[in-house]
Amino acid sequence: MLFHLTDRITGYEPGRSIRARKVTSRTEPYWRETPDGPAMPAPLILETLCQAGAWLVMLDTDVRRRAALLSVADVRFPGSVRPGDVLDVIAHVESASEERAVMSGAVEVGGRTVMEAADVMCALIDTAELDDPETTRRQLAALRDTGR
Amino acid sequence: MTTPLLDETRAMDLAAAAAASGLDTVVSLRPGVAGVATRNVPATSAVFATHFPRFPVVPGVLIIDDLARLGALVLTGDGRLDRWRLAGVTRVRFRHFVRPGDVAELSVEVRSGGDEPVLRGDVRVGGSPVTTVGSLVMRATAAGAGV
Repeated sequence: MLFHLTDRITGYEPGRSIRARKVTSRTEPYWRETPDGPAMPAPLILETLCQAGAWLVMLDTDVRRRAALLSVADVRFPGSVRPGDVLDVIAHVESASEERAVMSGAVEVGGRTVMEAADVMCALIDTAELDDPETTRRQLAALRDTGR
Repeated sequence: MTTPLLDETRAMDLAAAAAASGLDTVVSLRPGVAGVATRNVPATSAVFATHFPRFPVVPGVLIIDDLARLGALVLTGDGRLDRWRLAGVTRVRFRHFVRPGDVAELSVEVRSGGDEPVLRGDVRVGGSPVTTVGSLVMRATAAGAGV
């Protein structure tokens, strides 16, 4: 599958926080069978936060830098994500330098917390090392454009 | 002497364990104690189209997912991975990228039992540590309750 776990950027405070949406669909390939029906693998819920954080870094740096995961201090998954759920992802910057950013955040579904993460540390690397910056810019513009 | 022999006879066939867990091979499995498995990283993996076009690396969260699969396999011992789900992780460190062509050697060991067993996880490529997870906290699912 395309490893794009941000569908829309719904809020942004420069240097401070980002809010993003990931819509899930039964048509996606990652669902895992559980006794209570299909569920999203918990690490992919964490990835929605990491990718929202990466977009925050890109917004803050005019797409010069993006984030690569270095360490995670503590993550809990108190709830499950089911097909059709809409994930509301909120990431806050705890601290940041030229080379590193530390974020914390949560993911909710309809006001129910499905993930809480503390101290996710990322290395800030040159965007152009990972992808064509023009492609990344177009993706970012699409995430911010509601089309209405 | 008797304990490891008993573990061996109780353990499911390693090929069946690999198939049940979705890992590529299961090298050893001591139910309730520890397990070792491998994950191959082929360049054909679809994830590399987007992660990332100029620098293909395995997303760290997928490494955590593989450790959780192995953890569930160790806790069930019978291949019913859906008895356990990942409830949390702490002290995760990504030391090196995992790239196409790598064979990742995964190992987990149970540190404490009870309602929410805690396992330690470790991933190496060519003998060098690439990822360590201080604790994988697992929780029984509805199918695990009462077993």
